[in-house]
Amino acid sequence: MLFQIIVSGLVIGSIYGLIALGYSLIYKSSGLMSFVQGDMLTFGAFLGYTFYGVMGIPFILSFAMVILLMFALGFAIEKGVIHRLVAKNVLPIYTVLATIAISYIIQNGSMVLFGSDIKYFPPVTSIKGIRVLSLNVQTEAALCIAASVVFMILFNFFMNRTPLGTAMRAATMDPMAARACGIDVGLTTGLSWAIASGIAGFAGMLIGPVYGVYTTLGSVIGTKGFSSAVVGGYGNMLGAIVGGVLLGLTETFLSAYVSSAHKDIIAYFILLLFLFVKPTGIFNERAIAD
Amino acid sequence: MGALLEVKDFHYYYGNIHVVKGIDLKVEKGEIVTLIGANGAGKTTTLRSISGLTPGAGVRGRILYKGTPIQKLHGNKILRMGLAQVLEGRHIFSKLSVYENLMMGAYTRKDKAGIQEDVKKVYALFPRLEERKEQLGGTLSGGEQQMLAIARAMLSKTELMLLDEPSLGLAPIVIREIFEAIKKIREEGTTILFVEQNSRIALNTADRGYVMQTGEITMEDTCASLLQNEEVKKAYLGGV
Repeated sequence: MLFQIIVSGLVIGSIYGLIALGYSLIYKSSGLMSFVQGDMLTFGAFLGYTFYGVMGIPFILSFAMVILLMFALGFAIEKGVIHRLVAKNVLPIYTVLATIAISYIIQNGSMVLFGSDIKYFPPVTSIKGIRVLSLNVQTEAALCIAASVVFMILFNFFMNRTPLGTAMRAATMDPMAARACGIDVGLTTGLSWAIASGIAGFAGMLIGPVYGVYTTLGSVIGTKGFSSAVVGGYGNMLGAIVGGVLLGLTETFLSAYVSSAHKDIIAYFILLLFLFVKPTGIFNERAIAD
Repeated sequence: MGALLEVKDFHYYYGNIHVVKGIDLKVEKGEIVTLIGANGAGKTTTLRSISGLTPGAGVRGRILYKGTPIQKLHGNKILRMGLAQVLEGRHIFSKLSVYENLMMGAYTRKDKAGIQEDVKKVYALFPRLEERKEQLGGTLSGGEQQMLAIARAMLSKTELMLLDEPSLGLAPIVIREIFEAIKKIREEGTTILFVEQNSRIALNTADRGYVMQTGEITMEDTCASLLQNEEVKKAYLGGV
């Protein structure tokens, strides 16, 4: 029982963490709050369902196609909308509104394109479950946790150990200095949005087979991913993951041991209290002053 | 061949504000040239326009580097031609290590061996950077940050280095150290153009100087003559 709870907590927690990572990336690169993340997850999951469930393309290939398409979509949104608005020197809040508009367009668009009923992925493998420490785990759940961990390791390597990743961090710290170093800040900002969107698609492909896909799948996950990012320290990459896993585990434990009907009330009460105790998040990000 | 850098009838407009009003300026290969003047004279705008770091829409006139017009070029391209700028206020990456900061200076380069060679060179010039190479840029003292900013520009394989107010906010002893380093960098073959409000140290370091006032160049001469000039003495050297 306890083991099962931890597994489901880690599944949803890693999804929150991935979405939170996207929020942090976008905040770091553009100084903006983006509302698109959750609906990007939905859209990615629908795309994945179409490739894998309807067209019968192998899962791994569908996975790769979703990530690539979402990556391109994120880049296009930054270049086509966000960058243009920022160049007009509008108040940041207008750009945030643009992300809300895009989020509804994607959500409603998904409904028109894919319908409003729940779509279930065909099983990803013929293996029903794998045994971990002599306990049974649903294959999709294990895949979700494992893929998240692998992704986070690779992402961390990319951001900290490669010239392009370091340049992306440099550009978010000081755009002027980055330009003086010959870094194409327009490109790195676009890349941040593209990666955030790719991550959302990635998360959608992981959670779709576990929960099924429906138009509002991402809106709840989006809000909770945002909460995770704040708890971890808004803008802090490691904090996003830790915040996501913490929130996922808290929710699952509450619904198992207290009441699943009241889990969000209690979880978000804790969140509110947390904001008063540690307004900078776990990893002390000076989010607002930065 | 003409001068390494030639600025001809250069104007800059921020919207309707005419910030730089038609200046001419020349830097020969191997020289140290300074541009002095009060706050708001248009020095920083001039320097940033040469490096392609100001919005290009405001630029009028010609900027020639190695005989090529660069006033319309993107900053990336200008940097690749060997023209790098050390920004006013140092602008180091505070959450990157000293070494990572240097690597960002070499971002446009692909020659790994050459980069490591140049890292050794800047460590030889600024041994304190080597001692602190793992430290985050933001933890360095002001003088060390300025050294890092200069070292970072050196790593882009710079032939012409522009420096904006290298003395800003530094203690006199550190300022002397920085300007000694600038002279050494010239000895190693890099041409230097710098903007400075500390006119005394500027004129004592450079070969030639330009005096800029509200968007125009009002004087140009060798530094030796400028140091003797009564007007310069009164306005910029505290009347001594």
